[in-house]
Amino acid sequence: MILFRAGLSAGALLLATSLALAACGGSGDSSSDEGSDAKVLSLWHYEGPNSAMGIAWNKAIEEFKSSHPGVEVKFEEKSFEQIQQNAQMILNSDSAPDIMEYNKGNATAGLLSKQGLLTDLTEESGKRGWDKALNSSLQTTTKYDDDGIMGSGKTYGVPNYAEYVEVYYNKDLFKKYNLQVPTTLDEFTKVMDTFVQNKVTPLAVGGAEYPAQQILYSLALSKADRAWVDDYQLYKNKVDFKGPQLKYGADTFKQWVDKGYIAKNSAGIKAEDMGVSFTQGKFPIMISGSWWYGRFVNEIKGFEWGTFLFPGNKLHPGSSGNLWVVPEKSKAKALAYDFIDITMKPEIQALLGNNGGVPVAADASAITDPKNKELIENFNKVSSADGLAFYPDWPAPGYYDVLVAGVQGLINGSKTPDQVLTEIQKPYDENLADLGK
Amino acid sequence: MTLTANRAPAKTDPATPVAKRTNPLRFVILAALLALLLIVVAPLLIIAINAVKSPADYATGGPLSLPPHLYWDGIVDFWKRVDFGQKLWNSFITSFTVAVLGVLLSVLNAYALGIGKVKGRLWFLVFFLVANLLPQEVLVYPLYFLSKEVQLYDSLISIVIIFTVIQAAFGTYLLTSVYQEFPTELLDAADVDGAGKLRTLWSVVVPVSRPTLGVLFTFFFIWTWNEFFLPLVFLVSNENQTVPVALGVLQGDRLMDVTMTSSSGLIGILPALLFFLIFQRTLTRGITAGAIK
Repeated sequence: MILFRAGLSAGALLLATSLALAACGGSGDSSSDEGSDAKVLSLWHYEGPNSAMGIAWNKAIEEFKSSHPGVEVKFEEKSFEQIQQNAQMILNSDSAPDIMEYNKGNATAGLLSKQGLLTDLTEESGKRGWDKALNSSLQTTTKYDDDGIMGSGKTYGVPNYAEYVEVYYNKDLFKKYNLQVPTTLDEFTKVMDTFVQNKVTPLAVGGAEYPAQQILYSLALSKADRAWVDDYQLYKNKVDFKGPQLKYGADTFKQWVDKGYIAKNSAGIKAEDMGVSFTQGKFPIMISGSWWYGRFVNEIKGFEWGTFLFPGNKLHPGSSGNLWVVPEKSKAKALAYDFIDITMKPEIQALLGNNGGVPVAADASAITDPKNKELIENFNKVSSADGLAFYPDWPAPGYYDVLVAGVQGLINGSKTPDQVLTEIQKPYDENLADLGK
Repeated sequence: MTLTANRAPAKTDPATPVAKRTNPLRFVILAALLALLLIVVAPLLIIAINAVKSPADYATGGPLSLPPHLYWDGIVDFWKRVDFGQKLWNSFITSFTVAVLGVLLSVLNAYALGIGKVKGRLWFLVFFLVANLLPQEVLVYPLYFLSKEVQLYDSLISIVIIFTVIQAAFGTYLLTSVYQEFPTELLDAADVDGAGKLRTLWSVVVPVSRPTLGVLFTFFFIWTWNEFFLPLVFLVSNENQTVPVALGVLQGDRLMDVTMTSSSGLIGILPALLFFLIFQRTLTRGITAGAIK
């Protein structure tokens, strides 16, 4: 598997160079009615038909059809894997779709924009007001500079939904031990102490995948401000890994393991198993992303549950969702813009919200379902304070595995917080050096 | 195969039944084989269990619990969602064509190299062996650009051509070593009877080596059926995709739908399994069998 990936990335690098060369030749002018007379709009995304996005986008396709009679919409549901691995090759061929969902981030949308494979949407987004619908931390992932680094430059994508990390809790178990929803980190710690005293491990954690590093990052964020996030994520200034933020994160995470908040065996648990263990009521608390929400609504039958934001934090891991991008080879760009415009309409956004998604331009009053209202109100709290701090593994390619290994070391006690911080700083600094920062 | 081989002599050996029953070593071997069998079958069993379990039962019971009632919606929904009939047909037609063409190409190559004794055949064989050992990831980008040049990107034909060549490389290598041992008596007899080179190939060499060709055919079919990486790259449109590529649709960014993934896994593996069972006898006859009677 590792070999396979290595071969792939080496190949990707090769391709990247050759594509970059090819891209220098022709980048056409993008006037907004280019391709408005096209008769077909081919559209790809990779969300399941029953997910919030799948439902909302189906509706958007219907609306598009009724406002564009005579245009055929050729929709194909793709696999995440296929788009993830082959987007460069597909977008550089005649098989490119006219509009598609694509992953945000430097290694994905950023790389393609750098290679000239994506259409610049800056003008269109200003004209149609998409930029005003998105606050600045949401816009971070839509803009990429000439090096394909997010945060500034031209707009290459438009997100319809967002995601953020919050705390899921089992109301029945909270009631059983007479506990209130905590509002500060101290209270949160006391809640977990109570569970430990009653021989219940409080936190469901998937140490083998993304959940554990997001907890560590949340803890670091409790001591951080926006400037630190910009330093860490957008390379504004050099980050001191032994500074108060990450040191606090790693030390506190270690304490949580020592105090028994996090089970030692969770180092080997996958995210999926973490989610299932929470739905089974085996753990009272799970700290993870809003992507679980819709699934929990459908699958948790045995107990009452709710959510709250990580207590005391102003900043939370989270970001915009995936982006709508328009490939440079799209033959129906004007139609693609019309489609994006429809997905940003209030009724489509409300549909997204009512099905367990987090709409970016959400009007909480349009959300009728009480459970989903809680999700969106929490998001609006984060969003209005501009509190999305992205994910810890974003800054460097391959950083995800580095963080997983580091945090696993903390959970099973094989490494001290200090060792872990040194270990995760190295690839981060190497990446900075590669970027010439 | 090991199991049947062990059992067969035991049955036809009535002289030592008592010793057989009391020999503890037999039990140990039997237990070891059973354990091995369980290890091999366990993943399949888990897939089968979860394929017919409803998502709610999965959420409450976990992956190892038995489903309280059979739930077929996962399979039905998946079939409809990806238009599975179409994918089955795509997979079947590519695998079958590759298997036929691959065997044909291997026979022609191996006839020249193994029986024809072409000059420098050792180097040809080394070349085929190396071609066979190349990881597919290395081939992807050259093949991508080539197929775009000849307008075959996003077409089943590109997959058929690529895999015919890849499988035939292995076939040639294997078949050449079989043909090098081909009994010269038969070839001489054909020669005396006045058969030309082609006639000898079709009337003597191919019939005699038919069991080996059958094995190659079966393997080529199953290998091509299970191919994932190159079809993923080359078959862009949904209407061109093969079964393994279609199964990938369920693997999301962060979440997975375990029950539906199991359902898809089950119906994805069934055709290859069926094919294997049907042609199982061809396989057990042995890969080099039938060289001479």
